[in-house]
Amino acid sequence: MENSKLVIANPFSKMADRNEDVIKEGHFGAVLAGAGIGKTALLVQLGLNALLAGKNVLHISLNDPVTKVCIYYKEVFGNIAGQNPSEGIASTWEALLPHRFIMTFKVEGFSVPKLEERLTDLIEQNIFSPNLIIIDGLPFDETVGPSLNALKKMALDKKFSIWFTVTTDPGEEKQSQGLSPQIAPFEELFEVIIQLKPREKETLVIPLKGGSDPENQPVLVFDPATLMLKERK
Amino acid sequence: MKYNTQTIRNIGISAHIDAGKTTLTERILFYTQRIHAIHDVKGKDGVGATMDYMELEKERGITITSAATNIEWKNFEINIIDTPGHVDFTIEVERSLRVLDGAILVLCAVGGVQSQSITVDHQMARYNVPCLAFINKCDRSGANPDRVIGQLKEKLGHNAVAAQIPIGLESHIDGIIDLVSMKAIYFDGEYGETLRVEDIPGPMMDIAAEKREVLVDAAAMFSDELTEAALEENIPEDVLISAIRRGVLQRKLTPVFLGSAYKNKGVQLLLDAVTHLLPCPADVQNHATDMDKPDEKVVLTHNADDPLVSLAFKLEDGQYGQLTYIRVYQGSMSKGTVAMNVRTGKKVKIGRLVRMHANLMEDIETIPAGHIGALFGIDCASGDTFVAPELNLTMTAMFVPEPVISLAIKPKDNKSQINMSKALNRFTKEDPTFKTYVSDETGDTIISGMGELHLEVYVERMRREYNAIVETGQPNVAYRETISQLAAFDYVHKKQTGGSGQFGRVAGFIEPLTDEEFCFENKVTGGSIPTHFIPSCEKGFKNCIVKGPLMGYPIFGVKVVLNDGAFHSVDSSDNAFQAAARGGFLQAYPKALPEIHEPVMKVVVETPTDFQGSVMGSLNQRRGLIVSAQDEGTFSLIEAQIPLAEMFGYSTVLRSMTQGQGQFTMEFLKYKKAPQAVVDELVKKIKSAK
Repeated sequence: MENSKLVIANPFSKMADRNEDVIKEGHFGAVLAGAGIGKTALLVQLGLNALLAGKNVLHISLNDPVTKVCIYYKEVFGNIAGQNPSEGIASTWEALLPHRFIMTFKVEGFSVPKLEERLTDLIEQNIFSPNLIIIDGLPFDETVGPSLNALKKMALDKKFSIWFTVTTDPGEEKQSQGLSPQIAPFEELFEVIIQLKPREKETLVIPLKGGSDPENQPVLVFDPATLMLKERK
Repeated sequence: MKYNTQTIRNIGISAHIDAGKTTLTERILFYTQRIHAIHDVKGKDGVGATMDYMELEKERGITITSAATNIEWKNFEINIIDTPGHVDFTIEVERSLRVLDGAILVLCAVGGVQSQSITVDHQMARYNVPCLAFINKCDRSGANPDRVIGQLKEKLGHNAVAAQIPIGLESHIDGIIDLVSMKAIYFDGEYGETLRVEDIPGPMMDIAAEKREVLVDAAAMFSDELTEAALEENIPEDVLISAIRRGVLQRKLTPVFLGSAYKNKGVQLLLDAVTHLLPCPADVQNHATDMDKPDEKVVLTHNADDPLVSLAFKLEDGQYGQLTYIRVYQGSMSKGTVAMNVRTGKKVKIGRLVRMHANLMEDIETIPAGHIGALFGIDCASGDTFVAPELNLTMTAMFVPEPVISLAIKPKDNKSQINMSKALNRFTKEDPTFKTYVSDETGDTIISGMGELHLEVYVERMRREYNAIVETGQPNVAYRETISQLAAFDYVHKKQTGGSGQFGRVAGFIEPLTDEEFCFENKVTGGSIPTHFIPSCEKGFKNCIVKGPLMGYPIFGVKVVLNDGAFHSVDSSDNAFQAAARGGFLQAYPKALPEIHEPVMKVVVETPTDFQGSVMGSLNQRRGLIVSAQDEGTFSLIEAQIPLAEMFGYSTVLRSMTQGQGQFTMEFLKYKKAPQAVVDELVKKIKSAK
């Protein structure tokens, strides 16, 4: 009950059809932005959105320690809850925790076979089975191709969706559809691509690819101060 | 007596178990000529390190009791508190940090930052204690100071930067390059007591220059003077040191020193760093609370001539009676003067004052502001504040967690019974997290504390120090009862058995309360219960929460609102209203849907990555909620929330599962509703016990 109230108040739900995920099983989504623009915060909000909809979220961070990821979740949840104050918010948070699992790897220590091994451990022992995976900090360099292909296969087999963060260079030349060169070669693997673009005090959320009804999608902006996504009035 | 606080350092040495802090302390005592021979912790010579003086500690190779000691180094006075390394004794660590101005975080060059270091680091942050890091055991095979510096940054979030680099590593460690003076230092003599300063060896010049640049860049954040000097490429040593110090005092920079205490390398340079970089008492702002205005904080002056404010932070039973370790924050504590114990309101005359050197002592006349000393013949508890009689200040209450585990103990014979009482009396005074009481039901003595090992150590100490042999029962978890909804009561207590009767009626409701044990609100109007009987009602309700009607566990989180009642001019009495309150509570309690809550612990397991899957499985089996898994290459950290009841014997399970390489830390997190299956099991257990 409490959860659905919070979902409605969360503008991310407007990026997809009502009661639908922004991306579906086996799908990839990517958030593109320069360093420090708010990719992690946006994905945490997306993760919380899925958690509030009763999904299991595995958050994999290759940059931040567990404590930092936890703080992101707590802050963003606090902001969502702050917009909808009600009794029982604390118990909502407690109820969400069993549905979230945080894994951290060192960038150089991360590999798809390793992730698959960990996931199999979790799923087979009935510890945790994700519906959505967030991979924050995977370097999109020339070597990422095989990893993305392997992840796509895993996502289809194990029936989960994956969101990635992609760090772009503000000065770089854009390819077709305004895509940055890091993601352009793998564009066909991704169903949804979103870009964050800083404009004065706010950050625009620009859909570059996908979305259920691009014409009628509201203009979303990301407020770096509150780490919250909101609909532009 | 010197009163210059600028040359005083009160420091702690905090570390993971086995990082070598006791050996380090031992070497410090040796170089400062407090001792004249060096012994090892697990000494082959059977003597043991000086700071680690308790027999039990010697045997287990761990430090349990803090011992304060005073040393002199290059005209600086340093008071060192040796802190325990195991998480079960964290109250000792916390108490030490409370009275310290700075700390050395000792890390093992091989093991690096381990889960215990994380706990200790959190504690340092809580008390805002600036620190330096010392990477010990650089002589060990697999030593890698760079990796440890990386872990300091990643795992602990420190802005760690090397202040030294080693010349050689593992068994080839020859000396140390000081990146501030840009000199190579070698440690000659049988115990490394003679320092030989030379130019940096040619092949190491480049790496030294590169690392120095990193150090200068990090320190320049705290000093414009250093930035300018760096631009001019002429950095005076004192400018660099002062910039680093500024960063350290703000807890924004952690300079990292290294060496091997065991091989006598780097300890003297660490002492120099303590005097140069850690704060003196005047650099730290200490506060006390005014008892007359509890919301106001009073800043203490550090002035030895002002009225006394001091804190008793540690008690020990010595051969001359109770020894109380004390830190003076303001004024001076002098022999023959009078001080007031703020908690008891009693005035005490200060008798013998001493300065401690592990278990040896030196008589002194005065403990001035900023110093740590000890006094004899004062009856007080740990954490008591002693002030000049005209003051009414208390030092900030120390954070004391509630015990989460209890154990029934039975003395073996009459002699043990007497000795056990003496031991318990002392332990409870020394350690606020260790509590004891006699069970009304079984008549057993119950001890309670923060973990299995915590209690085991006290049972062992009873045997060794007091010759009290006790048998222990099964550990019991401190469950709690609470209510989950509002429920009304309306109860009449009426008794007429000849003579004056008893009459009292109470009406109102009980409701759940968060974060507080009990709260009573009187909303009676119109005198339906006379004012002088309201405290009787409150007492009646309060007595009910001691033992919950559901399963006999204490009740937590109940608000009682009394809004109506009735009395009789002759038959109503204190007893009658207490009985009515009890009746009212028992009437409402079942309707308020009582629940059993159990303590849940935050458990962090450190395991070789190969065993990660099976460790997660073992945590999951224990009703654990696994929060995260941190892959650190060869080892992983798994964080979980697990009910305490499921953690008994886990260390054995973990050891066998990980071929002895896994370890875990555990601290109390929260109380949480116990699942029905657990409650059913408890009911069965209680029934069978009856």
